[in-house]
Amino acid sequence: MTIIVLKPGLQTTIQGRPRTGQRHLGVPTCGAADPLSMALANRLVGNSSLATALETTLTGVALAFECDTFVAITGANADCKLNGDPVTQHTTIVVRRDDQLTVGSAQNGVRSYVAFAGGLDADEVLGSTSTYLPAEFGGHNGRSLETGDELRLRNAAAVAPVEETPVEFRALMLDAWSLRAGHSCETKCVMNPDCLFEHKFKVTNRSDRMGIKLDGETIRTDSDGQMPSAAVFPGTIQCPQDGSLFVLSVDAGTTGGYPRVAKIARMDLHALGQLRPGNTLTLIERSDADAARELQDKHAYWQAWLPDISQVI
Amino acid sequence: MPLAGDDLISVAVADPQTAQALAAVLRDSGEWLEAVAGIDSVVVRFDLASVARAVAETRLKHATASVAVRPVRTGVVVKIPVVYGGEFGPDLERVCEKLGLTLREFVALHTGEYTVEMIGFTPGFAYVGGLDDRLIIDRRPEPRQRLPAGSIGIAAGRTGIYAMPGPGGWPIIGRTSRRLFDAGCKEPFLLSAGATVIFTASDTL
Repeated sequence: MTIIVLKPGLQTTIQGRPRTGQRHLGVPTCGAADPLSMALANRLVGNSSLATALETTLTGVALAFECDTFVAITGANADCKLNGDPVTQHTTIVVRRDDQLTVGSAQNGVRSYVAFAGGLDADEVLGSTSTYLPAEFGGHNGRSLETGDELRLRNAAAVAPVEETPVEFRALMLDAWSLRAGHSCETKCVMNPDCLFEHKFKVTNRSDRMGIKLDGETIRTDSDGQMPSAAVFPGTIQCPQDGSLFVLSVDAGTTGGYPRVAKIARMDLHALGQLRPGNTLTLIERSDADAARELQDKHAYWQAWLPDISQVI
Repeated sequence: MPLAGDDLISVAVADPQTAQALAAVLRDSGEWLEAVAGIDSVVVRFDLASVARAVAETRLKHATASVAVRPVRTGVVVKIPVVYGGEFGPDLERVCEKLGLTLREFVALHTGEYTVEMIGFTPGFAYVGGLDDRLIIDRRPEPRQRLPAGSIGIAAGRTGIYAMPGPGGWPIIGRTSRRLFDAGCKEPFLLSAGATVIFTASDTL
């Protein structure tokens, strides 16, 4: 029940469920940066949505199997191969002992997800197997994978029916993203609110699991930038004094002192894991009432394919 | 009530002690996904899929009205030896210049006994209150992407102790070798809100 890492890629980590309810201890949410794509991969191998899987970053991963199992690849679009022959994403892949699986570089999006029937066995720390790189815990010794690492499956291969994600449930990887967002505590401090919403920002290279720095219109606030530290969450958009925007993601710190000028709505947070440097991001303004209603709608839509969608988005 | 996001509500409170007390009460109630104290606020996250915002706001108002501030001193005393300045405190020279202090004067003012007001930001990051008025300085205009574990920064009248590597926006004045977070421990966090810390000057890490 072992899988050997042949090529680890830029940053491949083990991710599972989020660490909910520990932010008061400074413990970030963690988990898949794009939990929807991870759920779609898990679905195809008969796992629950948050079962422990692999998350690649931009350059993919190559694995050798020492056991029979079922896998599925979703998320960022990439050329995938089994023993050199092309295999498609969004389908259950039957893997035999001595097979080699390659996930290529991301063409659109950033992170591909590889799920395994029964899920990966990994270090469980603070209630989750998710890797938190800054503090080096969870996953595989708290770090991203390296050549020669041995991954373990939790269970011997169950018989998973071979399935495909229906086309309408294949999350799209885009170049231009529009995410719904609403006001946050310091939105009223923004002196040029017209530039915040319905405005194209560029995703910069300073983007990772902590957050995404945006370039574009300079946002002016009437704050001196010296707020008393206050709680922030994935999706909170901070505005440091230089007037840029920083969107917090799953590994972001739990408190911060920069003005919180907006927050990405819960229903669209999963897309943050796929924003690629050079992509554009437009914040579409939503009232809290609309955000609540549209979350219900989104859950109702996805429920048909992912019954536990409310734990995912 | 102040909107912090579609599934977030913020409450302003008077001081860090009240924030800690209110957040603890809210967590104990089991009604919130998260209840996180700041310096002068508490933000709760509720399950937007199953709880209407109006209901969440009512619950929060009731809890806020009935919270009593509890003493937060825990009796725990932790010594933090700090190597001030040089390669371990790359911002100290600029900070001293800005504050009009010599390095020696800075160290004399900064060493001593303080109380941890809250833990947050990253696992184990301690906000330590009560900094001398002469040591008040702003955050850096832009955060650093990666600081080493044990970095000690100051900003807005507080000392911050970075328990692990990570990003940070506070001017860094020194570093400690004390391990503040150990994921393998039953109690992984060395510091907690209410603990006493004593900063001492050290020559080596």
